[in-house]
Amino acid sequence: MLASLRVIASRIRGIFSVRREDREFTDELDAHLEMLTEENIRRGMSLAEARRQAHIRLGGAAQLREMNRDLRSLPFLETLLQDLRYGLRMLRKSPGFTAVAVLTLALGIGANSAVFSAIDAILLRPLPFPDADQLMQISQYHLKEKNSNPFVAPVRLEDWNRMNSTFQAMTGYYAEDDSEISGPLPEKVTIAFVAPRFLQVWGIAPALGRDFATVEERFGGPGAVLISHRFWENRFGGDPNALGKKLRIGRFSLAIVGVMPASFLFPNRDVDLWSPDGVGGPYAQNRDLTWYTIVGRLKQSVTLAQSRANLATVQSQLGKQYPKPDADLAVNVQSLKEIVIGGIGRSFWMLFGSVSLLLLIACTNIAALLLARSSRRQHEISIRFALGGSRTAIMRQLLTETFLLALGGAAVGLIVAAAASKIFQTLAATLPRVQEIHLNATVVLYSLACSLIVTFLCGLLPAIRAARKSIAVSLAQASFTQVSTRNRLQWLLVGVQVALAITLLAGAGLLIRGFQELGRVSPGFQPDHLLTFHISASYGETVNLKAMTQRIDRTIDSLAALPGVSSTAVSAKLPGVPSEWPQEFKIAEGQIDPNRKIVADSRAVSLSYFATVQIPLLEGRSCRELPNGADVLVNRSFANTYFGQSNPIGHHLSVTGDQYSPLGEIRGIVGDAREEGLNHAPGPTVYWCISGAMPDPYYLVRTLGKPITMARTIRERIRSIEPTRSVFDIAPLTDHIDEAFSENRISAVLLGFFAATALSLACLGLYGTLSYSVAIRQREIGLRMALGALPGRIATRFLLQGLRICFIGCAVGVTLAVALGRVLSGMLFGVSPTDVVTLSGVIFIMLIAAAISALVPSLRASHVDPMVALRYE
Amino acid sequence: MTDGKSDVLQGTLDLMVLKTLEAMGPLHGYGIARRIEQISEDALSLNQGTIYASLVRLLQRGWISAAWGASENNRKARFYSLTKAGRKQLSVEAENWERISGVIGRVLQLANRG
Repeated sequence: MLASLRVIASRIRGIFSVRREDREFTDELDAHLEMLTEENIRRGMSLAEARRQAHIRLGGAAQLREMNRDLRSLPFLETLLQDLRYGLRMLRKSPGFTAVAVLTLALGIGANSAVFSAIDAILLRPLPFPDADQLMQISQYHLKEKNSNPFVAPVRLEDWNRMNSTFQAMTGYYAEDDSEISGPLPEKVTIAFVAPRFLQVWGIAPALGRDFATVEERFGGPGAVLISHRFWENRFGGDPNALGKKLRIGRFSLAIVGVMPASFLFPNRDVDLWSPDGVGGPYAQNRDLTWYTIVGRLKQSVTLAQSRANLATVQSQLGKQYPKPDADLAVNVQSLKEIVIGGIGRSFWMLFGSVSLLLLIACTNIAALLLARSSRRQHEISIRFALGGSRTAIMRQLLTETFLLALGGAAVGLIVAAAASKIFQTLAATLPRVQEIHLNATVVLYSLACSLIVTFLCGLLPAIRAARKSIAVSLAQASFTQVSTRNRLQWLLVGVQVALAITLLAGAGLLIRGFQELGRVSPGFQPDHLLTFHISASYGETVNLKAMTQRIDRTIDSLAALPGVSSTAVSAKLPGVPSEWPQEFKIAEGQIDPNRKIVADSRAVSLSYFATVQIPLLEGRSCRELPNGADVLVNRSFANTYFGQSNPIGHHLSVTGDQYSPLGEIRGIVGDAREEGLNHAPGPTVYWCISGAMPDPYYLVRTLGKPITMARTIRERIRSIEPTRSVFDIAPLTDHIDEAFSENRISAVLLGFFAATALSLACLGLYGTLSYSVAIRQREIGLRMALGALPGRIATRFLLQGLRICFIGCAVGVTLAVALGRVLSGMLFGVSPTDVVTLSGVIFIMLIAAAISALVPSLRASHVDPMVALRYE
Repeated sequence: MTDGKSDVLQGTLDLMVLKTLEAMGPLHGYGIARRIEQISEDALSLNQGTIYASLVRLLQRGWISAAWGASENNRKARFYSLTKAGRKQLSVEAENWERISGVIGRVLQLANRG
């Protein structure tokens, strides 16, 4: 075993020292011959006879050298190197062909590798934590309520953590945007308040400093904070002396105990600070007050199902101990990675499918090129056969050449992929994990694998055909007198390219049409001229709801008084940005159909909201300014769905199952608006007229001019009335609405790009094949013209030949597109996957492009000089 | 790589080369070939070149080593010598060979008797 390994190693070494070894062996044989000669002379032979006998005794020197070389190295590797050298020489001899082929493949492999690098980073690779597959998000849900609050009370977290047997540890957190006020200006910070065991669950230690001490985790204990690497760089310039410095958040002074590694960005990439959420605080004892998102780390080799079963048992025990509210609660466990990447997988696999189609087109294109080339090389190939080259040797040689092309394509493709990943990060900055995309060994390996696959996809067929002995020999003579078209296979490949290009074009067309439809929709509110932003605030303020509401109302009034502002409002959610939060309602006066559940989207807005976003009041009156703000407005859809013909005004609504829900009087009916996203038809909606529903709502300012030009004025006004708060996330509402569709937009842009590339490749393929066909039929054309054929007729014949295959390709492509359209159905708005307008538009574009690219070779055919063509005969 | 000879024949030649080097110490290709011919009393008149295939095989297995040196006539020649691993291999192979030849001898005797 060891010996045979040594043999292989020495043979591999042998490859690289063939020449030296050869020389040495020759020297050795020479010495041997001389010794034999001397011996023969001693025996009394003449010098000449002695030499002759010596050669006979030793054996043929050339054969010995050959044997020696075979033994010393790996012969197949040597032939491979020889094939490679020869292949490189052949490719250098036709630089035009090489460049076109390498660039085509670079596009195909590059786009494929780029999408793969995104899939690898976002979907395949584990989250950037140690043993990240053990990390789970744990949430609770109410058994009797739809869409209940998923957050967990701190006491319940401690119960779960103590009573379960499947998790190493569990922790919780909640994050909010607050202001750090130890500097000259308030600075907006995202701070996560964390439960005990936070770093233990992540398995990550601070890059500098230490974890929280137990005393710091207790309510009322000394304030401590871990800072993010970015915050450390920005605020302290990366100075290690930042440890021990104090930050001021609201009333609290927090000492910096550590700096987290740059890669640790949880719960989101904006996070600046982590601070203990005091254990044992007065509110943390209430089993109904829930604010934690829970993350747990599974024990080694515990499955998701086991942990679910285990936590279900734990919760049922809690249900017996605390029937109210725990008996009605259940636990859900989900992989954290799934939650982080969300539903983005579908778009990526769709893109991956389209780049694979693109690569297939590129391969088909190259295959056609190679076919044309190999028939031009028939002469060379038949000579090789004549000289005794075997079929496999010739196929191997041709495949090696293709492999070199593919390798070149992959190398250039990787450059394309590297550039694409940069573009992707700017284009899709809001997608999860997008900053983790970069070129790495996996992607390089993937491209190499691509080039191998490409070699066989586009090289095998031409190689097999070229190495068919009979054809090779016959064609070597026939090519001078060829009349009919023998390149049926090439035309088939053109058809395949057209069909695949049509499929991609149809996909891109449908997505783009969807966006057009979206733009045409009337949203029911006026998204233009609205500036949105946040003002930092803490959930701590909810202790005094009255003061908080007054503070928000004061801000609204102050901003509304600014010149250039026509009105100001707050809302818990942005209109037009998907954020569905349906709740179940009860009508105090009783409902028409008692069996029908009243489910509606619930939105908390200030009184001025309807004037600000311009949703019209259709019936009744607007809300009153009540100290506890319990008036509601409902939209037309709510009134029609749940009240039918009767008048809802004056009825009272409350949220089912929420003991804290106020009883709101329906004051009026407003128009339906697409607040759940422009692609959603408006559903039943209830508006609570409460400006203080949360400490940090969205502020909406209707401006007279361009919204963003008011940003500075607004910042200055906030600073004068709220000097300890910062303004952040200032952006026009239209930006947010656009962002909500960014995933679809990126898909559309990329698919459009792929489709355009596919179209050009298919046209290139058609052009190339037709040109080739014209070239080899020159004599036939010349003959026809000599016999009186009209140039126009000849051009038309070639044009139709090209277009006929395109028609067939289009038919197949449309069938394929309809079959694959289901993949897109969730991403389309207002168009069906079989939209006739889009499909016929796509065919039209394809045929126009095909006609243009077929025109040049067809015209060339009509300009063949009969004399030149016939002179060969 | 295939030279048509059976492994057994290759093996016997290799064994003879090893044994020669053990007996004679470092030796060049010509010397080894001569020595084998002499021992077999020219009964085994071989194509001397085949010795080199054996030498390459043994070199690759690490059982012998080679170095350039001067021959008795002060000519440049490549000298082969047995390595430690080669010595061990030789004893294993020799034992094997004796056992096999013993078995074959007995089988042939049996055949003669029958």
